[in-house]
Amino acid sequence: MARTGAEQARPQGRFRPRISSLRWSGYFTLLLTAAAWGFILLDGDSGFADLFRERTWQNAARFFAGLSGTENDGPSPFAQPERWLETGRLALNTLAMSVLAMGIAGAGALVLLMPGARTVSDGTLGGAPARAGTALYASVRVFYALTRAIPELVWAMLIVFFLTPGILPGALALGIHNLGIVGRLTSEVVENLDPAPARALRAAGASSTKALLYGVFPQALPVFLTFLLYRWEVVIRTTVVVGFLNAGGLGREFRLRMSWFHYDDVALLLTWYLLLVIGVDALSAQLRRRVRWE
Amino acid sequence: MRQQLETWLSGPRLLTLGILAALAWSLSRVDWQQPIAHGGGGDAALQALLALFPPELSPEFLRICLVASWHTLAYAVAGMSLAVSLGLPLGVLASGALAERPASRGRILPTSVRLVLAAMRSVHELVWALLFVAAVGLSPMAAILAMAIPYAGILGRIYAELLQDVPAEPIAALEATGASPLRSLLYGYLPMALPDLLSYTFYRLECGIRAAAIMSFVGIDGIGFQIELSLADLLFRQVWTLLIFLVTLVVAVDWWSGRVRRSLAY
Repeated sequence: MARTGAEQARPQGRFRPRISSLRWSGYFTLLLTAAAWGFILLDGDSGFADLFRERTWQNAARFFAGLSGTENDGPSPFAQPERWLETGRLALNTLAMSVLAMGIAGAGALVLLMPGARTVSDGTLGGAPARAGTALYASVRVFYALTRAIPELVWAMLIVFFLTPGILPGALALGIHNLGIVGRLTSEVVENLDPAPARALRAAGASSTKALLYGVFPQALPVFLTFLLYRWEVVIRTTVVVGFLNAGGLGREFRLRMSWFHYDDVALLLTWYLLLVIGVDALSAQLRRRVRWE
Repeated sequence: MRQQLETWLSGPRLLTLGILAALAWSLSRVDWQQPIAHGGGGDAALQALLALFPPELSPEFLRICLVASWHTLAYAVAGMSLAVSLGLPLGVLASGALAERPASRGRILPTSVRLVLAAMRSVHELVWALLFVAAVGLSPMAAILAMAIPYAGILGRIYAELLQDVPAEPIAALEATGASPLRSLLYGYLPMALPDLLSYTFYRLECGIRAAAIMSFVGIDGIGFQIELSLADLLFRQVWTLLIFLVTLVVAVDWWSGRVRRSLAY
């Protein structure tokens, strides 16, 4: 009798804290939101009142007129083929920066793929569990958490400090941050893989390296590529932002033109930016479909 | 021969070659003529690394770090709350849950909302921020709006997908009892999708913290702003302290959102 009672109580006991912790998270969210808005609206000039002033909207209208080029004297950059070519070259640099960033993130994640997966380091997938493997696993995970927590732009600020400006430091900053994201996701995929193929290979006498190479890698690779392609869509948007920090490409030019109030040039750069984003989104979707078919 | 080449090239090999070609092309765009690190860059990097032992821990500076962390958190939460209140209605419209049934008509509204959402998220929040600062002036409100727009675009798209993934039978049962589209949204779609909607929103909060940290770029106070100031003054010990605060904040929010998401998962 007592046993049945305990069994009945158990799921309830598990259910209750879940709900109550959710409830506290809900209260905390409401409190945090209220505090954040209260602080922003009450602390100094938030600019909230400006949203309801006529002058603000006149300024905004002037800005949009500048973007559309109706207020500028001289020919619009949109009408000059050589401006299209010039900015197109910058767009190519931006694209190259994003591809290079994905290359860096992909290469890094590929190297750390195995040590970063718990199932590999603790021997679930075959091979003896080694203390060194567990330590390696922990340090790879901490490395992922650190690289992921620091935004691309902060990485870029730090890297541009030491490296010559160009697309390489920008790609490095983007690559490091995305290594943390892609690496963690892929390692989790490896942990959830079916261990049977690797174990079968081990049983057939394959070395642990071979078992991983032929038993784990082929399963993980399509998911890995899918994650990389997904991140590429995010990275192409961020490449412009990293470019603000003298890292070259569209971003640098964008920032310069903004500070010179050349808003019609800004519009041309924005056009290239949108073309890049749409193009990469379409290409990535196409490639992802192809990866999944195999 | 040609056919052999074609079969050899198909599938994985073609993809691998494509990836390698893309990488080679991107490397060719790097200007290898100039040195990779600029003069004194190596020394500066060493100096910066050594500055970690110990980082700046004076009480005055720690107070600056705490205030900057709160600014970053406040902007992130404000931006996210605005993004949710913008993204949820747009997501509902884009999901077509409110569309007249049979759904043969009324495809125009969801499709156009979808396009709006795509446009919102195709521009990075900092680009929005630069545009807003130029249009309405530098203020915390401009930064929050700039953050909310792309995030609403992402949230709206995911919300729409989650609402569409709701099982059809309960909705059909509701409609059979004569529920209007609004009622089936309130009593069918939303309650069923709620755990997933919340889960994704909390996941995004972590990204929101990072986005708020780099809003410093247009002059909004926060951890990123302080890092920029300390870097400009070559105070690497302060940079390390700020980085520790940033990582702690992101990891703490990540832990919290992970906890919420785990308890939402059935």
